[in-house]
Amino acid sequence: MNLRYMTKELYYQKRRTLMSILGLSIGIALLIVLNSLSLAYRQAAHVPLKEIGADITVQRSGDVPKDLAGAVFPCSAVTIRKEEVEKIQKLPGVRGIGTGLLLWVFDPNRAWIVLGIEKENSIGPSLLRSSVTEGRFLEEGKPEALVEQAYARQFGIRLNDTISVADKKFPVVGFVDASRAAKIAVANVYLPLKEAEDLAASSKELQSVSPYAPGDVNLLFIKADQEKITSLASEMKGILGNKATVATPDSFLKLLGSLFALSDKFTLAASLIAIIVAVLIAFKTMAGNIAERAREIGVLKAVGWTNRNVVSQLMSESIIQCFMAGILGLLIALVAAYGLSFMKVNIPIPWEMSPTPHFLPGGGDQIFKTLRLPVHVPWNLAFFAILLSIIIGGMTGGLLGRHISKIKPSEVLRHE
Amino acid sequence: MSKSTILSGTDLSKKYGDLEVVKGVSLAVNEGEFVCLVGKSGCGKTTLLSLLSGLEKPTKGKVSLDGREITTSSEDELALFRRENVGFIFQSFNLIPTLSAWENVALPLFPIKMTSEERRRRATELLGKMELGHRIEHLPSALSGGEKQRVAIARALINNPKIIFADEPTGNLDSGTGEAIMGILNKLHKEEGVAILMVTHEDELAKTANRLIRMKDGEIMS
Repeated sequence: MNLRYMTKELYYQKRRTLMSILGLSIGIALLIVLNSLSLAYRQAAHVPLKEIGADITVQRSGDVPKDLAGAVFPCSAVTIRKEEVEKIQKLPGVRGIGTGLLLWVFDPNRAWIVLGIEKENSIGPSLLRSSVTEGRFLEEGKPEALVEQAYARQFGIRLNDTISVADKKFPVVGFVDASRAAKIAVANVYLPLKEAEDLAASSKELQSVSPYAPGDVNLLFIKADQEKITSLASEMKGILGNKATVATPDSFLKLLGSLFALSDKFTLAASLIAIIVAVLIAFKTMAGNIAERAREIGVLKAVGWTNRNVVSQLMSESIIQCFMAGILGLLIALVAAYGLSFMKVNIPIPWEMSPTPHFLPGGGDQIFKTLRLPVHVPWNLAFFAILLSIIIGGMTGGLLGRHISKIKPSEVLRHE
Repeated sequence: MSKSTILSGTDLSKKYGDLEVVKGVSLAVNEGEFVCLVGKSGCGKTTLLSLLSGLEKPTKGKVSLDGREITTSSEDELALFRRENVGFIFQSFNLIPTLSAWENVALPLFPIKMTSEERRRRATELLGKMELGHRIEHLPSALSGGEKQRVAIARALINNPKIIFADEPTGNLDSGTGEAIMGILNKLHKEEGVAILMVTHEDELAKTANRLIRMKDGEIMS
């Protein structure tokens, strides 16, 4: 391979070189963008759960009492027994569990959505610690409350006021802005888990349809090994029965409804098509280019270039062109990914996971988690695309070079 | 074969399908000899040149170049043999359009392990001899026909060949430039002692050669 010859050939035959590079770069860009988009949807599907520090959420549906008075469980989240939680905790692949107790409290003058939370846990709603906008977070062993900022504003609740929830008094120690947090496990009032347990245990209405003992919960937030999420989800359903609602990134992905989100096979098929298109474009343009150079190849052979010399020269030219096409394709894809990252995606939150009673105003509306599609080109995809370009270059140059090197110089050099 | 024979073809035939283009031709070229192969268009002289230079294999017969039988050699062996022993000059110059004059001259050296400086030095020296020292960086498109052919001659000489095969080297040139090219070839043959086998259809050009071989219908007439 002669570097000087190669660079001059690529430089002076600008039209040829540009055609080859542009053609292949489009295929490579398409491949990168398709995969980045698919990855972005997958990452988006993780967001609702990731925002509460979990990979899986678990709840169990059941019945609501006839009389909606005092503390009751939402029909989508009834008792999960302490023993069941312990069983889940022991499943291989479970890295940690956060718990919560979601209650609807119907007081004579007001309905509360109350969430009992653990004070210290990196998994679950205790992550709201970072969303406190005024006052402070809950402290250990104190019967106190945090109130959602918008709710407090609506009902004129101020810091250090005392609120009465199911006949128990709680001083308001802080406000929380959960509007930017996950749409899952949000409430009007946040109490220490122990206080919520007491409310649940002492509610006759609640006990009448869903027996409850302190230590039981109705929301589980689970951190798990990524590769085991699917199998864990089915094992949890096995433990909790067919009324269990297990939410995973995959279940959110299905709710997104995009072709990319629906199926790995779609992305795979589209990627394969992009690769085939890229190979065909490369092959066709290079075949045309090399055919134009038949006479030149004849000269090379006449002056003593062996077939191997010819093949390695053409192959190196092809590899360099395809490498440049790969780089250009990557740049196009980076620009496209940047543009696509402004796209908004609405992730529907299943009604079971919505904390608002559906019979209250607005409670039946579909809730969405809206976010910018996190489109980016991961370095390993970029590396793969460049490597693929080089391989395509090597294969194309090698195959076409072998073919053209069989040319007989006497046939192409015979003067007109 | 005499000691001074550099090239010999024995009973050479070449058929394309049913058409026999070269018919049982035998000829020899001695070291340092300038031989002209003359004949009308289509008489088979270019095909004979291709057979003798190893660019094409005969249907029948043998070719020996510098004492080596080349008819049985593989394509790559022939390429290497040509690189080391043979120079070519074509009617259409056949320069690589993207390479400068000196790079075209150095083209046979590209596959050889050698520094770029050494290649350039050798090519520049030859271009100087062809009075093209001031055109070494020019692309073929910036050269006149005569200059292109002088670059092609320099390329044919870069490997110090024992024999040069020239196929109508003045065919694309005006008479004045053609005479100049013939002058260079004569000088090469006389001063450097390089054997030349030249194909032409112009009797006038053939007169400068040591020996003239006439072809007609694929056969040698005289």
